[in-house]
Amino acid sequence: MSGSTLHNLRATVPIWAFTALLILVAALLSPPFRTLTNVTALLSLAAPLIIVATGQAVAILMAGIDLSVGSVMSLATALAASYATFGGGALVNTILILVVGAAIGTLNGLGVIAGVHPLIMTLSTYIAVRGLALFVLPSPGGEVSGGLLQFVTLQVGVVPVFFIVAVAMAVVVWYATAESTWGRKLYAVGSNASNAEKSGINRKAVILVGFIVSGLLASVAGLALVSRLYSGDPLAGDPYTLNSITAVVLGGVALTGGRGSIIGVLSGALLLSSIGDVLNMFGVSSAYQFIATGLTLIVALYVYNVGVFRRDRSAISALLNKGGVG
Amino acid sequence: MTSIGKALRYAARRRDLIISYGLALILLIVSGLITSTGLQPNRILTIFGQNAPLGVAAIGQTFVLLSGGLDLSVGAVINLSNVIVSEVMDGQNGRIPLAVVVTLLVAALVGLINGVLVAKAKLNPLLTTLAVGTVVQGVYFAYTGGQPTGSIAPAFRVVSNGRIGDFLPWSFVAWLLLWAVTAFLLYRTVFGRRFYAVGANEKAAWISGISSSWYIVSAYVASAVCAGLAGLLLSSYIGRASIGVGDPYTLISIAAVVIGGTAFTGGVGGLAGTFAGVVVMVFIATILSTLNIPTAAQFVTQGIVIASMMLLYNRIGHGR
Repeated sequence: MSGSTLHNLRATVPIWAFTALLILVAALLSPPFRTLTNVTALLSLAAPLIIVATGQAVAILMAGIDLSVGSVMSLATALAASYATFGGGALVNTILILVVGAAIGTLNGLGVIAGVHPLIMTLSTYIAVRGLALFVLPSPGGEVSGGLLQFVTLQVGVVPVFFIVAVAMAVVVWYATAESTWGRKLYAVGSNASNAEKSGINRKAVILVGFIVSGLLASVAGLALVSRLYSGDPLAGDPYTLNSITAVVLGGVALTGGRGSIIGVLSGALLLSSIGDVLNMFGVSSAYQFIATGLTLIVALYVYNVGVFRRDRSAISALLNKGGVG
Repeated sequence: MTSIGKALRYAARRRDLIISYGLALILLIVSGLITSTGLQPNRILTIFGQNAPLGVAAIGQTFVLLSGGLDLSVGAVINLSNVIVSEVMDGQNGRIPLAVVVTLLVAALVGLINGVLVAKAKLNPLLTTLAVGTVVQGVYFAYTGGQPTGSIAPAFRVVSNGRIGDFLPWSFVAWLLLWAVTAFLLYRTVFGRRFYAVGANEKAAWISGISSSWYIVSAYVASAVCAGLAGLLLSSYIGRASIGVGDPYTLISIAAVVIGGTAFTGGVGGLAGTFAGVVVMVFIATILSTLNIPTAAQFVTQGIVIASMMLLYNRIGHGR
């Protein structure tokens, strides 16, 4: 493992510690939280978020962003719930869902390569794909194919299979971003696109692949959502656009690109899911949950920002010391 | 005469303005061709009046985009404004001034929070305004328990159903007036000049003696106050509090501003284009609903139009 990988991993220690602390405190204070039923509930709540946040992290690491993920998730559930029209069988249906996710990612990538700002490009696809989802399934419901439903609701003991899938995906994507040549290029484009290009990196290819990964993972996250809904919902994915970005920021990935680790994002997604689960547990009304989510995000942004400033200040003082009387 | 010549030369430099106004005009004509009522001024003016809330919200959003940011709390502030104005007015004409003042003050406070977090604490605008918007959402849900009360006073509803000289809807006039005042501020004053300077390069503006961060704060306050005003206009139309009426305005206001040629990078574009952008968004919706096209297809069309316009602007080299 390279030095920079270790460095990035070390930076995720505080967020992991905070997540562990929150879960520990919640388990100590609330008997219903430490039941096995709740463990299953928490893990299945976390699964779609981990998957979609992993994709979002790839987009943000290359200094992009993907607002369309929420709609892609909705569309995935809508397609799964209309398998009779789209695919007929579980396998064809699933492949179709993944292909559609990758296709939307391709569209995002091509738009951004053509020079459209990632925010506005993915905002356009967010709106258009939401329309597609409503077209496929005008209202929540529909019927998911038996084979797909059987797979997505599998459990290994108390652990839902999609949680295992989610963690596996996060680890694979982490390894690819941290250790592969593609990952190096991704970080390089994210830190400074024009420098990356000058050093011979095919910026366009990196961006295209990045958005395809994000779109593909969003469609997988949609399948994870099916495992909780048992049906389709053309708007179910909507909150995941904000939540995936929040998880990425909580995980310590810089929105300016090129800094952070997917392992941190895994923790960010777990933290956000735990907060949601704890608030549910203590019967906090959804109104206060909104307030809590918003404040969490602001505090996280502030804390990471202060961290950045501290680095700046130490750099300045190092400079001053060098030129000082010492 | 000279000022017309000046305006024409300006438009020739800004090809994005020609494109956005051209598209707006085409859509307006098409919307007239597909109905029997056609291009009757009365019908067109009704549409403009009904969409004044979007026009007003887009003015505020323009300031934020010019400052190099983005305001995703617009929809939440419109909802908040709708809830507060109904609650405070409670159907009584005598309480209109109080209700309007309270609503705009609360909206300005939200904008101030956004602005201070973005400009002073240097937090990312996208996430800050999303987070503040989420908190605002929580606040009005907690305050109303999901069931807002109160109603809009009869005298205030004149804004939406009254017309000056039986011709111009008051809400359209309000939109135009606000647009004229803010456009004057932006294009013809020192404040406006400095505002563009800050949007284009915050650091350079700061070095040349402009207190950059306060200009950015003012953009967020302007956006929130505009959203508050949009909420007032919308309330005048629907006559009561209804949580969620403002939700679509966040994205559509951004779409209108960027179609009007204002760039995401800050300092490029302006209110001239925003007016066309609003007209484009409004008449796309009008045409699609006249043709009875399902909402699903309307979303797809909106998305395609926004993306294609951005691709077009890139081809003509605008905003780079």
